[in-house]
Amino acid sequence: MEYAAPTTVDEARTLLADNPGSRVFAGATDVVPQMRSGRPEPSVLIDLKLIDRLMSVTHDNGHWTIGAAMPTSELTSNGEFTSVFPGISEGAGWIGSDQIQNRSSLGGNLCNGSPAADSVPAMIASEARAVIAGTDGERTIPVADVVTGPGQLSLADGEFVVEFEIDDPPANTGDAYIRMTPRTEMDIAIVGAAVRVTMNGDTCTDARVVLGAVAPTAVRVPDAEAALIGSSLDEAALAEVTAAASAAANPINDKRGTIEYRVQVAGVLAKRAAVLAAERARA
Amino acid sequence: MSVGQSPLRHDAAAKTDGSIEYAGDTVPAGALQAVVVFSGRAHARMLLMSTDSALAVPGVVDIITAADAPVNEYGLTMRDQPALVGVDHTGAAAVDAAVSRWEADQIAVVIAETRAAATAGAAAIEVEWEDLPLVDNIDAALAPKAPLVHPENGLDTNAYHHLRIRKGDPDFGFALAYAVIDEVYEVPHQEHAYLQPEAGTAYIDNEGRVTIEIGGQWTSEDREQVAHVLGLPEDRVRIIYKAIGGAFGGKEDMSIQIALGLAAMRLAERGEHRPIHCRWSREESIVGHHKRHRGRIRIRLGATHDGTITALEADVDLDAGAYNYTSNKVLGNAHVSVAGAYRIPHARIDSRAIYTTTVPGGAFRGFGGPQGHFAIESAVNRLAAELGIDPVEMRLRNALVDGDDGITQTVMPEGVSMREVITACSLQAELDEALPDPEPFSPIASLPSATTSLRRGRGFAAGFKNIGFSFGFPERCEAEIVLNGNPNDETPTSAELFHGGAEVGQGAHLAMRQMASDATGVSLDDVHGHFSDTATSGDPGSASASRLTFMAGNSILGAAEEAEKAWREGDRPARGFFRYTPPPTEALDPETGTGAPNFCYGYMAQCIEVTVDVDTGHIRVDRVTSTHDVGKAINPALVRGQIEGAVVQAHGYAISEDLQLADGFITNPRFSSYLIPGIGDIPLQVDSQILEFADPLGPFGARGVAEMPFITYTPALTAAVHDATGLWFNTFPLTPSRVLGGLQAAEE
Repeated sequence: MEYAAPTTVDEARTLLADNPGSRVFAGATDVVPQMRSGRPEPSVLIDLKLIDRLMSVTHDNGHWTIGAAMPTSELTSNGEFTSVFPGISEGAGWIGSDQIQNRSSLGGNLCNGSPAADSVPAMIASEARAVIAGTDGERTIPVADVVTGPGQLSLADGEFVVEFEIDDPPANTGDAYIRMTPRTEMDIAIVGAAVRVTMNGDTCTDARVVLGAVAPTAVRVPDAEAALIGSSLDEAALAEVTAAASAAANPINDKRGTIEYRVQVAGVLAKRAAVLAAERARA
Repeated sequence: MSVGQSPLRHDAAAKTDGSIEYAGDTVPAGALQAVVVFSGRAHARMLLMSTDSALAVPGVVDIITAADAPVNEYGLTMRDQPALVGVDHTGAAAVDAAVSRWEADQIAVVIAETRAAATAGAAAIEVEWEDLPLVDNIDAALAPKAPLVHPENGLDTNAYHHLRIRKGDPDFGFALAYAVIDEVYEVPHQEHAYLQPEAGTAYIDNEGRVTIEIGGQWTSEDREQVAHVLGLPEDRVRIIYKAIGGAFGGKEDMSIQIALGLAAMRLAERGEHRPIHCRWSREESIVGHHKRHRGRIRIRLGATHDGTITALEADVDLDAGAYNYTSNKVLGNAHVSVAGAYRIPHARIDSRAIYTTTVPGGAFRGFGGPQGHFAIESAVNRLAAELGIDPVEMRLRNALVDGDDGITQTVMPEGVSMREVITACSLQAELDEALPDPEPFSPIASLPSATTSLRRGRGFAAGFKNIGFSFGFPERCEAEIVLNGNPNDETPTSAELFHGGAEVGQGAHLAMRQMASDATGVSLDDVHGHFSDTATSGDPGSASASRLTFMAGNSILGAAEEAEKAWREGDRPARGFFRYTPPPTEALDPETGTGAPNFCYGYMAQCIEVTVDVDTGHIRVDRVTSTHDVGKAINPALVRGQIEGAVVQAHGYAISEDLQLADGFITNPRFSSYLIPGIGDIPLQVDSQILEFADPLGPFGARGVAEMPFITYTPALTAAVHDATGLWFNTFPLTPSRVLGGLQAAEE
């Protein structure tokens, strides 16, 4: 196994194309444990952290651009970003521990392909886009379209995520991400729920509800969104959100949580995230 | 006076700055690396093993197999385990050494220039196995015609150890009862999860002794077991304890000691004298050492209208796993503690240790007490609820007092303080005041900012734990003290304390120096400890059974007296050696269980307050009141450390730790999936209430405290959850899935 540390996107693109079996990484917080647990070693480990474009965050022309390899701790400590997207910041803030967050990145969290990735549901709720570099240049797709199943990506060989774009939200918009873990920290979500709502007075005018860890990928819940839009998040609407989210959950049974538990709590967390997002939208 | 004070630990600075020498840190230059190879078979007979390819791996120096063990059997209390499973063993062994009875039976030790080479060598060992039928739980083990895990013991059952208590007439007792509860309780495994996995270094010292530097709990016993397998007199083996990252009973049995000892002995014979280092990874540690016993306890408990207990029946089945380790002794403690610290006129108790082809059960803080107390204390809480009696009142009504017979029909050792402890705990916990309304769980993200789904409750439990070894074991502890000074000095200027007692992180060595200081009149700074080296210290007994302060203290008091005698006679330096033996205990009668099992007990009570999120099943513990009669707190800060540490460890046992087995294999041998509590999970507040009712035999009146705060935690917690939700849980851990599942089932 070799290690390479390109300083430009082009250089990384060439390395990836020229070396079958190579793999890009940012913080290596998933790659190293995977190798230790017996997954085949890549031919070349390509470190993306020396490429400036992947390590920066900018805000102009009505949208944010976030480098795919930037440590999530730089995002969660970015006061301006966190005030605009508290839900995305919360999700990023639940990855591993403080030490892990000095290495972990949005790009890595997404491209590891885990359905339980904490930063992904809120990105989808804000309709974030992924800018992908490949042998033929760059293309931009919704974050929701990157992961196709556990550990499975829509990216072709030789492609990697360079950065994310997120548009400024409309006025009176708030988002939230909450999750359930058997342990309160340093654990992997058994249910995650991100909600983003836009409020006009007491009425919700737009909503996105996204669940994590209860299906092969993060999933949007259109029925829950429909229940929120036009409502004042009254008891009836929240009961519909709860039922819709539970209905949309299609989880696995594993050591951390049973199917019954995940289905039930998906509804509970979707409701709680909706209430929290609405509080933020009104603030 | 040093006793009763809390001076700074002498090892605090070095532990804080990292300079202290742990057995895993002190790898001598040029040391060889050893990897212990596990069978990876839950139950199988070895047909063939070839090390030829492994020996050809570059860097591999040698491979130790069963053929290298002069005596191929060992065990702390029964020699039912092969040192190395193998087909070509020639050493004496009562056990069939060709059979692997759990996944971590050791089959070889690969010694190489590097750990990587040793690991590659281990992978190159070729073994042929014939699989034998799995016996992977106690139901399978007890089924008619179940395969026998240890046919060599001549029994026709896997239930190889059976204890009985027959007291009074249980049928009559239950006929007197106004209410009877009859419940089955299931208790899970628990992993010790010490900070430091097993690590050690072996070499031949300058006096030709096979020497092992390691962390452990009982130097002399380690030496005895290693010497037995090596076929050496004990004085040809030396055990030295380095600093240790926790033990909790998990380092009382052998792990890598015998492998290292065999390797050092055989390599020296072949002319290779470099030291040999072995260090287990976390996965190797979790797979490779024993666990707290899982088991099942059926209990029937009856009481009159006013809450007076009339009869008890209990069946205690513990899964001993593949080998006995200390299961027979753990079972004895569960057997006695399942009756609680109560007057019970009529009782039948049957307790069995059962072999299975899974990870062995063994010593772990509480040693059978947590299992027994979970059953009896849950039963008492349930019976009190059924009778409409306050659980504290129920306990006071039945608690043992001085002069009472215990469940084994012999008088309790003097100093029974159960009632005082229960009363003190109930007052400290302010049980007469209603719980305030729940507060939001913030900042835990999974929990709500609204409080509509939150329910509060509190629960109570009490109990006792023996101090020292039980059931007729020849309990002893040795100390030597040397007083230094000039011929004309009236009092010594300094003292040397030689003691084998193991420091396992609890601060025992400081407590010993404090007691030596008071015993000799030498100031604490001038008492120098020389600890835990079989070449310089005697037999201390184990750092277990909450016994070390009590036993070491008495040995130190005796040695100080001897040394002072010599001092007065003019010896300079003046030496004193003392072997303390407490009053003898008795094995229980095999038919009736009659006998005096213990010479001293500590008594404890706990009250736990919880908030339960009934929408997610998440439990937060808001407050723990942990009350302990320690006799005398030799060092109050260390006592509080034991209480808080045990509470946190018990919290993991009760709430989140869930060791999972499939077909005899542990499937979550890592901390990402075996969840010990994090800082955000532990109780928000622990009130440590230290009571000092002097024990008549204890040094300065001291009893012990190490295990007690663990033992009553789970039944107090489940009672609190019942108070909050109306649900009784007869098994745990109370993970969110289990709690929510229980709530949903109750709704349907």
